[in-house]
Amino acid sequence: MPVLSVRDLSIEYRTRRGPVQAVRDVTFDLAQGETIAIIGESGSGKTTLAVGLIRLSPRSARVTKGEIRYDDGKRAFDVLSLDSERLRRFRWADCAMVFQAALSAFNPVITIWEQFLDTGRAHGMGDKHKVHDRTRELLDLVHLDPKRVLTAYPHELSGGMRQRVLIAMALLLDPRIVILDEPTTALDILTQRAIIDLLRELRGRLGFSTIFISHDLSIAAELADRMLTMYAGRVVERASVDDLFYRPRHPYSVGLMRAVPRVSGALGSVVSIPGSPPDLIRLPRGCSYYPRCPFHIEQCLAEDPPLLQVDTPNHEAACIRWEAVAAALGSDAEAPVAEKLA
Amino acid sequence: MTAATGLIDRRDVSRIPARLAGIVEFLRMMSRKPVGLIGLIGVLFFLFLAYVAPFFVPLQDTVDVTAIYAKPSFAHPLGTDFQGRDVVNQIVYGGGDIITTAILAALFSTVIAITFGSIAATVGGRIDALILAITDVALTIPQLILLIVIAAIFRPSSFFALAVILALLQWPALLRQIRAQVLSLKERDFVEAARSLDLGLMHIIFREMLPNMRSYIVIHFIIAMTLAIYAQAAIMFLGLVPLSGKNWAIMLYFAYNQGALFFKDSFLYLMGPIMAIALFQLSLVWLASGLEDVFNPRLRN
Amino acid sequence: MATITPAQGELQVRTFQRSPLSRARGHLGGLWGRPITQAIAKALLTIYVTSTITFGLIRLMPGSPVEIKIDELMQGSGMSYADAAAQASGLFDINLNAPIHEQYFEYLGNLAHGNLGSSFLSRGTSVMSIILSVLPWTLFAVGTGLLLSFVLGIALGLVAAYRRNSLLDHAVSTAGSIISSVPGYLIALLIILIFGIQLRWIPITQMRGAFTSGITPGFTPQFLGDILFHASLPITVFFLTHIGLWILSMRSATLAALEEDHVTVARARGLTDGRITTAYVGRNAVLPLVSQFAIAAGAVVGGAVIIEQIFVYQGVGLRLVASVNQRDYPLMQGIILMTTVCVIIANLAADLLYSKLDPRIGRAGGAGGK
Repeated sequence: MPVLSVRDLSIEYRTRRGPVQAVRDVTFDLAQGETIAIIGESGSGKTTLAVGLIRLSPRSARVTKGEIRYDDGKRAFDVLSLDSERLRRFRWADCAMVFQAALSAFNPVITIWEQFLDTGRAHGMGDKHKVHDRTRELLDLVHLDPKRVLTAYPHELSGGMRQRVLIAMALLLDPRIVILDEPTTALDILTQRAIIDLLRELRGRLGFSTIFISHDLSIAAELADRMLTMYAGRVVERASVDDLFYRPRHPYSVGLMRAVPRVSGALGSVVSIPGSPPDLIRLPRGCSYYPRCPFHIEQCLAEDPPLLQVDTPNHEAACIRWEAVAAALGSDAEAPVAEKLA
Repeated sequence: MTAATGLIDRRDVSRIPARLAGIVEFLRMMSRKPVGLIGLIGVLFFLFLAYVAPFFVPLQDTVDVTAIYAKPSFAHPLGTDFQGRDVVNQIVYGGGDIITTAILAALFSTVIAITFGSIAATVGGRIDALILAITDVALTIPQLILLIVIAAIFRPSSFFALAVILALLQWPALLRQIRAQVLSLKERDFVEAARSLDLGLMHIIFREMLPNMRSYIVIHFIIAMTLAIYAQAAIMFLGLVPLSGKNWAIMLYFAYNQGALFFKDSFLYLMGPIMAIALFQLSLVWLASGLEDVFNPRLRN
Repeated sequence: MATITPAQGELQVRTFQRSPLSRARGHLGGLWGRPITQAIAKALLTIYVTSTITFGLIRLMPGSPVEIKIDELMQGSGMSYADAAAQASGLFDINLNAPIHEQYFEYLGNLAHGNLGSSFLSRGTSVMSIILSVLPWTLFAVGTGLLLSFVLGIALGLVAAYRRNSLLDHAVSTAGSIISSVPGYLIALLIILIFGIQLRWIPITQMRGAFTSGITPGFTPQFLGDILFHASLPITVFFLTHIGLWILSMRSATLAALEEDHVTVARARGLTDGRITTAYVGRNAVLPLVSQFAIAAGAVVGGAVIIEQIFVYQGVGLRLVASVNQRDYPLMQGIILMTTVCVIIANLAADLLYSKLDPRIGRAGGAGGK
């Protein structure tokens, strides 16, 4: 039983020009202990999706359809159907979200300890000592000194330290799911490495499932089991990490792979995708990737392609031309993906 | 894609000459938030009343003892005062002095603030520190109290002198703002360019920087006017200034001193000037608020 | 993973930050060390400059009171310049024969001892004692009015922000905007006019003065009730004059605080709305308002003058007007100085409060990681 089952989730924003369909018909499963990375460019809907999973979208956003089924073996329900009190308890205790640890992720006027205490108290942990013990445990796990960190105010900690504190706080209530939204983007490269290693270690020890949002493919490659590619609010490919990197079947995924420079790659093999994403208010008919796609044909404009099973198991791509893509890429080798389409 | 701002359809406007188009756009932006527009109308109304109306309404100065505190009638829509003079007439004639003095005071304080603020920011160093220190001190002394004492000592006998005194108490706030703005603008590219072209300090200040500060200056000017009116009315009400004339504040002074406060019938005699001052202040404040929205595109949401 | 890379152990060294007010006050003199020293130095400087200004006003300006007095005496009683000067000298407590700078230093010296001179009218009474007898009344009325308006204004502003664009929000914001634009004394006059005279709801004649003579002063409920009765109208006016400011400031501060990321994170953490409103939104929004309050407290002492005149409330404002009418220059001078001191103390308190309440100010940080 997957711990999270998202079916046909659609979220739109109200704007003056009309509703922006930021997330369209998103469907995926998250298994126990699995890590899924959601990748895509800015504006693809990844963050809207992530925030929407815990219903924390801004006031102007609305879920127009779909369901988010949570099942941890003891309880099962649709997150979208929760009333506000049950939703409040669901958040953090069952599903925690780690944001980019900018300074403003913490309340600047209270100490780190008080913020842990707040979190504990909000979820029924009345005993201060229990909360304190658990907090110390977690801070040790993330390799921070509780004595120094707990009495400090947020602005007194460095970016890397704050990110660790956020991760520790996320694990306070032992959630089944941890959502990470660009957890390493704002950090320098050494700290990034440290955080990635930390996440891997924690995941191994505590066994939670992870949803990872990133535009950084290399991090996704390190941490994820499966990947979702999003474009213009839709999931355009669902595959295992290996499949997506070595055998992408959607032209956009192929484009993403080509856009990342490789240490071993030949000079000149990096190509960005020409054009820009469509207007999410007035979506064109048919496949939204059409204008930028080197594989497009007339029929692509007929309707938005559904996710189709491709040539490897548990691998779907929303493209009617996936076979052509597969043919163009040839076999397994990774390096040729960049050059074959040059 | 429709027009970028979505505010006006560019097609219509291109047919109107540029100046007029600017005014039209301005009014449209103001009407988004009614407060500003109401303020503008109010201010224009009072300006008209104070400066234009006296040409049409003859001054009624005759004392008519039989008609003291008369009830409102067609001849005297707001009744009469303690000497039988028409109240409406006094209100019409009562605005000019106050508003003129307020404008002058605002003008002086704005000039002082711009001059010394720019100097402080561009010259920097000791002079900057000195100007800042003086500004700080000026901000700390309770203004009304100092004003009262100065008025008592110097007894300004003309509105001009009064305006000067009022201006001396109001420049600090704007000076700080101007200084901060100039300091930040100093680092900007176009100033760098002007300096490298050796265009001279005055030119840089007046032709390059000031146009960027228009919004602050205009809004401050309006607020300075409200403060000037507040201060004027205060000291005239207290009877500290040997000014004759028939302005709203003096009306209040007479009213208070003649005990009109305690007569039931003299209600309108008092409400007249009170309402005039209050509504004018309100209009000015709302105009400033509306302008603030217009000048600051970020606030428009 | 046991080893820590160097990046993790960065020491956070915070450059020393000053409170916004102190920063805004400029960099007089450069490096000074603790801000409190700077603030006190600034305060002393202001007192010094103010006293010099009043000295100048009274003594140096053309048409200064001293000169006028001398003229008066010469013309009225036909005295010679020397005699007139001598008498004026006694009246003004200045040695007119000494050179100007000596007079100045004597004046400053007196000030340092808290000697503000003697009142013209009551020749034995020191200005300081007169001021000290009336200042508390003003502070009481102003303080109570401001405090009440602050508490209520903050509450209303918070609610208005939470219910943005609702009818309540529009009503409260518009009402606040209107009331705060009308000068205080006009509100006072309107209260008397409408509620006192026309509707006869308030017995204004009975409310004149600071307390009813006949009741012995003391901490008895009777006396305290009486004081409140007499001060209620001035308190109401101060309340009304300021509440608009608090409502609008708190509203915009709350709206800004609600946009902050940490509020979103707090919701994601499943914190209750109550806790978020008080500790996350409220505390951050109110922060700048606290020092605004202190500053307003200092500033309003000046504006109280006319209010006291209208309600015949015997505070320092009423005394000032009386002293102006009576040409009691030492008293006028003393009042300027004392009220300036009040403003200075209020500003210092504002700085102090702000730096105490906001942990980001003035704390040398540095929690090193491990």
